[in-house]
Amino acid sequence: MAALLLAAAVPVHAQLDFGRILDLGKKAVEVGEQVQQATKEYTVEEEVALGEGITAGFLGATKLHPDERLQRYVNRIGRWLALHTERADLPWTFGVIDTDAINAFAMPGGTVIVSHGLVRRLTSESELAGVLAHEIAHVLKKHQLSAIKSDAGWSAAATGAKAYAADRIGRSSGGDVLGLKSQLANAGVDLVKDGLFLRPLDRGMEYEADRIGVVIATRGGYDPYGFVSVLTMLAQAKPEEAGESITFSTHPSAADRLAELEKVVPTALEKYASQPQVAGRFRQALGAK
Amino acid sequence: MPTPLSRLLLLAWLPLAGGALAQEQASTNRATDLKERPGFDSRTVAPLASGAPVKVVSRQGGWTQVESGTQRGWVRAFHLRFEATVVTSSSSGGSLGGLTSIFGFGGRKAPETSRVATLGIRGLTPEDFKNASPDTAALRKLQSFRADRASAERFAKEAKLAPVTVAYAAEGGGS
Repeated sequence: MAALLLAAAVPVHAQLDFGRILDLGKKAVEVGEQVQQATKEYTVEEEVALGEGITAGFLGATKLHPDERLQRYVNRIGRWLALHTERADLPWTFGVIDTDAINAFAMPGGTVIVSHGLVRRLTSESELAGVLAHEIAHVLKKHQLSAIKSDAGWSAAATGAKAYAADRIGRSSGGDVLGLKSQLANAGVDLVKDGLFLRPLDRGMEYEADRIGVVIATRGGYDPYGFVSVLTMLAQAKPEEAGESITFSTHPSAADRLAELEKVVPTALEKYASQPQVAGRFRQALGAK
Repeated sequence: MPTPLSRLLLLAWLPLAGGALAQEQASTNRATDLKERPGFDSRTVAPLASGAPVKVVSRQGGWTQVESGTQRGWVRAFHLRFEATVVTSSSSGGSLGGLTSIFGFGGRKAPETSRVATLGIRGLTPEDFKNASPDTAALRKLQSFRADRASAERFAKEAKLAPVTVAYAAEGGGS
């Protein structure tokens, strides 16, 4: 349902805010073939550093919800789900931002953000698990990295930083990433400034994350239909409400996504439909009476 | 039918409207059954024809509680259609300057595109992102909420979540 919002379109404004990183990028582009090689794969450390920069930049524009109990609750669900995936050992981090808009985001390297506005519109832990699992799926498939690589400007920035920092990150046993001294983390910040969150992923990536997400939630022992239920809520949301949200305007319609999921869920997952929805604990965590 | 401009103006009033905006009207997208409880093995209250109007009451997993005339029951979530559809702008300009989300209202068929170039987020503009300085303190705070494996497993056990082995579903519905 939600995702980091990137597009393959070449941004005409890519020259903004890039400064030194872009210069590095330009040099890297000149290297041609080698650059293609360099962008192909990010090491996990590089992916995490880039993601931390993106998250830091993102948090500069919005803020975390003050309910720390809720933050920890969301982290336990998310980590539990991630344990049942092929990237269980990423530094998975989940957060709730303090906005009433309906939204969710995934950053490279395993950071997933949901809005309080989305969480409060949900009715059970299985619905929240469905949302988190969808975002986890984007991270598993590295959809955001693909989008960054497919955008000439973004790719140049990230590649330049990568070339500059590869050696350094390789040697520092991950000590300085949080201080954002790594060039990749800085590139992440610049990507946010350059509108990383304002453009969507390919529709195909969303459908793929939907399909994978429902399976992850099911593996975690939840009712596989939690995410279906969320899409129903989204389909019901009126345009005025939806207009608040990037998620809505950049994703395929909820109706289309339900139609796609119907091809998958009943055949593969119906037999798990009696798994728990965990509504009571969810209401408690949300502070509902 | 309001003009696009008046729709945008309407957005400004949103904070007052709160969460009461979700629409309750839906219709069935195929012939289906109104069930007494959520579940295929539940008693059928009444058959519903394709296109039957219903009022949405609540949702639970793959089932949606609805009212059809004087009857109340549960319909498969996949079997419902809602009127409101968000229309995505197909404009392809590079400008991020305007808050120009375009919405379709009930009845009008919504054109769909896989991407939008311009859109608005209430309380969060392209400029907010452009001007934001990275908040490393908030990043550290966020990371302090991380759960380790053991606490996640404990947490799952508390809610009787039992992990199962399921393969990812293939595109197109293979299982």
